[in-house]
Amino acid sequence: MEENGNKLHKTMTSQPGMSDVVLGCVMPYIDDPKDRDAVSLVCRRWYELDALTRKHITIALCYTTSPDRLRRRFRHLESLKLKGKPRAAMFNLIPEDWGGYVTPWVNEIAENFNCLKAVHFRRMIVKDSDLEVLARSRGKVLQVLKLDKCSGFSTDGLLHVGRLCRQLRTLFLEESSIIEKDGQWLHELAVNNSVLTNLNFYMTDLVKVSFEDLEFIAQNCRNLASVKISDCEILDLVGFFHAASVLEEFCGGSFNEQPERYTAVSFPPRLCRLGLTYMGKNEMPIVFPFASLLKKLDLLYALLDTEDHCLLIQRCPNLEVLETRNVIGDRGLEVLARSCKRLKRLRIERGADEQEMEDEEGVVSQRGLMALAQGCLELEYLAVYVSDITNASLQYIGTYSKNLCDFRLVLLDREERITDLPLDDGVCDLLRGCEKLRRFALYLRPGGLTDVGLGYIGQYSSKVRWMLLGYVGESDAGLLEFSKGCPSLQKLEMRGCCFSERALAASVMQLTSLRYLWVQGYRASESGHDLLAMARPFWNIELIPRIVGEDPVIEHPAHILAYYSLAGPRTDFPESVIPLDPSAAGISS
Amino acid sequence: MSRATVELDFFGMEKANSCKSQFQKFIDRRRSFRGIQGAISKMNPELIKSVIASGSTNRNPVDWRKSFSVPSSPKEDRSTSLPSLPLLNPALRSIPSEESPETAPLTIFYNGTVSVINVPRDKAESIFKLAVEGSSKNIESVDSSKAANPSSDQQNLLEARNGDLPIARRKSLQRFLEKRKERLTSPYAW
Repeated sequence: MEENGNKLHKTMTSQPGMSDVVLGCVMPYIDDPKDRDAVSLVCRRWYELDALTRKHITIALCYTTSPDRLRRRFRHLESLKLKGKPRAAMFNLIPEDWGGYVTPWVNEIAENFNCLKAVHFRRMIVKDSDLEVLARSRGKVLQVLKLDKCSGFSTDGLLHVGRLCRQLRTLFLEESSIIEKDGQWLHELAVNNSVLTNLNFYMTDLVKVSFEDLEFIAQNCRNLASVKISDCEILDLVGFFHAASVLEEFCGGSFNEQPERYTAVSFPPRLCRLGLTYMGKNEMPIVFPFASLLKKLDLLYALLDTEDHCLLIQRCPNLEVLETRNVIGDRGLEVLARSCKRLKRLRIERGADEQEMEDEEGVVSQRGLMALAQGCLELEYLAVYVSDITNASLQYIGTYSKNLCDFRLVLLDREERITDLPLDDGVCDLLRGCEKLRRFALYLRPGGLTDVGLGYIGQYSSKVRWMLLGYVGESDAGLLEFSKGCPSLQKLEMRGCCFSERALAASVMQLTSLRYLWVQGYRASESGHDLLAMARPFWNIELIPRIVGEDPVIEHPAHILAYYSLAGPRTDFPESVIPLDPSAAGISS
Repeated sequence: MSRATVELDFFGMEKANSCKSQFQKFIDRRRSFRGIQGAISKMNPELIKSVIASGSTNRNPVDWRKSFSVPSSPKEDRSTSLPSLPLLNPALRSIPSEESPETAPLTIFYNGTVSVINVPRDKAESIFKLAVEGSSKNIESVDSSKAANPSSDQQNLLEARNGDLPIARRKSLQRFLEKRKERLTSPYAW
């Protein structure tokens, strides 16, 4: 049905202003979802035009709408991203069977979305049968398939993809839990595909893949630019590296042989994004010849100590993205600040807790943060686990990191005494200084932020859309003050709160932009009754009740999940999730 | 919901504890195993063993419905006659069949070891009393001349722990750290 062109010509321009033809030419250039959202609200004509020309939709929680509604509004969609389980699932906090099944969506895609070329499922449950349906119905046109932190399928499901999706440019499986039967799926991909540019099965536990198939893919796919794989001996990949002549990104692999043998490995000439698993100080020199070309370095799964970090980082003046564990230490951050003036994104994850497993220098504190803020002025994203912190270091970030859009700080609980708590003033200065901040996470401990500090967050986070708050504030008063602000806050996650159900419900009603709430660890009652104060139309409230494990005896506190939905309550609850039903309590919704 | 666990009124929420500030109540609430661990870790190990040994043969009845109150900070009123620590009754785990009904399991985390002992209530109280006295003596001697700063006092008392919720680790990193351990301990590691 070529109704796009026909429809535009048929509509008359009876009122002054832009004709539909002109509008139809302009509209496709409007990509930003917020702009499109605004456009669609102007009038019925613009709403319809937006619906016809929108290329991509992200549905942040699959239960907020239904496949049917999506199809009725955006029939000509080319690209769809769907997210399922709450973000906390990445930290093992959500029951595996919580939900987020792709099946109804895949069925709708198979039937009706004729223009769909790109599909991205994140934190969802995918079955082999879903992959078969998708491959059979859309295999001829599908260019991008991303199964991102998904579970529920096996390599048998991937066979259908390898066999039938011959136009696939991107196959992304990173961090998915895949049941491995064999490596046949990769062989099918190698035999049937010559256009692949991105192949990613990083951080999956697939071990039966053969490096010969990888080499085969590199030979057939002349545009292969990014390959991220599971553990595979690097020495077996020499042929692959030789064949992948335009490769820019490589992650994965494994080092199991004597270090001297790796001097024979040569990497493709355009390689500028790298992450080598289990790389130690003795293998590190193989990176030195092209370290100055590196724009992105992933050291999360390397075996380097603080000194190794210093030696490597000082050779990477063009580094824009660095991911590593806190073994980098304050000293490594100082080297980073001196050497990598173009740094845009820095993620410092938490290493092992046992002292013997990591370098004793491997702690990050205010010292490293202050050096970083002053040295890396182009920083846009900073996520860090610190062992110590001060207000001054946060003030430095507010002063120097003017491009910061995303800031996440977690205060580890290893040290009993923290140099400078509470962090009220530092947080205030950071929020006031970083005017572009859109995403903000602060995970502290009791005493880390007072009610006044929590009020500052509300007052000074005008553009922030997503927040994660852990162990902040002292009382309900703090939360209520906080919720008077945050005008842009759409998604709020909280953990380890001292707030009552009543205060949580009241704050939800005050946060004008809020459409999604997740809380674990709060003053829960047996029935959740006080939460009903936030009952309202289109607002789904779900509980994952408190679990006391038997062995070991660990308590998993209750979760609240609440979100706006056009689709009504879920119909696929597992036993571990309980909907809160306002009608049962006599409250109309 | 019928459950075997008896949930205790941890920090006297139902009691008239109005003298305590909101902040104090919150801080009290956050204490759990780690709070107990902190207090007991300052005790003489021999003392613990002797109390437990003397208690295990006693047959006093236990009333689990009675609520325990939390020991307050040294600066507050210490005249509470029952300075006992909260108990989480792990009744959901498998209990040996020969356990006598008058005693209940007490789990102690001490010095890197975990012990589970069946003791009657009065002996449990004695242990708690000793723990509180032991820990508060330490704190009093250090902080007695400190200017009143409620936050840091609470922090010291809490030992700045995160209470019930340990900081969750990302799945991918968790797996990597486990695999790394295996690599280091495997016989072929070099």
